[in-house]
Amino acid sequence: MNLFKKLITPVAMPYWWQEVLLAVPRIVCGWLLCFDFGASKFGLPWSPAEKNLSIFEVAFWFPNDVAHYGGVFALFPIFFAWMGAFSEAVGGLFLLLGFQTRIFSFLIVCTMLVAIFMQQLQNGLWNALPAAGFLWAALFTMITGSGKWGIDYLIAKKMNHEKL
Amino acid sequence: MKNYSSFAFIIILFGASCVQKSYKRTVVFQLNTVGIPNIQTVGVRGEGNPLSWDADIAMQPIVKDSFYTATITTVTGYLFTEVKFTINGTLELKDAGNRKVVFSKGDTTIYEAVFNKMPSSTNSQQ
Repeated sequence: MNLFKKLITPVAMPYWWQEVLLAVPRIVCGWLLCFDFGASKFGLPWSPAEKNLSIFEVAFWFPNDVAHYGGVFALFPIFFAWMGAFSEAVGGLFLLLGFQTRIFSFLIVCTMLVAIFMQQLQNGLWNALPAAGFLWAALFTMITGSGKWGIDYLIAKKMNHEKL
Repeated sequence: MKNYSSFAFIIILFGASCVQKSYKRTVVFQLNTVGIPNIQTVGVRGEGNPLSWDADIAMQPIVKDSFYTATITTVTGYLFTEVKFTINGTLELKDAGNRKVVFSKGDTTIYEAVFNKMPSSTNSQQ
C-alpha cells in the first residue's frame, strides 16, 4: 500500500503555472502515442479501420522488426513487440490521463530507449528525434508523476484524506 | 497488491490477444502507358515486401509502349497497400498522394491504372 501510494503521489509544484508547463508535454505526448504512433500498430477502438487490427493485437510486421534487433529481442520477439506497442498505445492513454503515470512512464522510457538505440539511431540522429522527444517527456513524468492535472493526484488526495 | 494486479492484467491481455493474423495476397498490376514517348523501363513501387519505395519492381510489356503488367505476392494483415508507378525510374503523380490498392476478398486482386492519372475512386480494381 505504501509503495502504491508512493508511486501514485505526484510531486507538487509551488505555482500553478509550473503545473501547466509540466502537464502540456505529458498530455501532448500521451495523445500522440495513444492516437497516432501506438494506435497504428496496436489494436484500440480508434485504430484506423484499414489497419485491420483487433483489440489489443500488435501489427503483424512489428514482431519481425523486433526480431531483427537480435539478442534477447530475437528470442522473444512477440513478447517485446506486444509490450512495446502496448506501452505506446495504452501507456500513451494513461500518460494523457495522468493515471498510474510513473509505471507507464517507465514502460514508455524502456520502449523509447529500444526504439532509439536498436531501430532509429542507425538511420541517423534526425530519425531518432521523435522517440527521443517521448523519452524526455516520460523521463520527467517518471520522476514527478502526473502533477496536479491528472487522475493520480485525485487518487493520492483521496488516499491522504482517508488516512486523516 | 494492486501492483501485482496490474501486472497480472497486462499478462492476461497479452495472452488474450497477441499478433495480428496475416495472409498471402497476390496483386496483378495492369498499367496503361499509351501516349507516353521513349519508354525504357516501367515499374511499380510501394509499401510492404516485396514492394519498396526505393526500387522498382519491373513491369513487363503486354503491348510494348502501351500496356504493362506485374504480379506481386505479399504477406500482410492490412486490407490495402499503397503504390505508385514509374517510367524510366521517374515516379508518377508528383505532389499527389499514393494510389491505394484495396485487397479483394479473394486471393488475387487485379489493379488497373493509367499512368500519372489518379482514379476517381481510391481503388480502380476490377
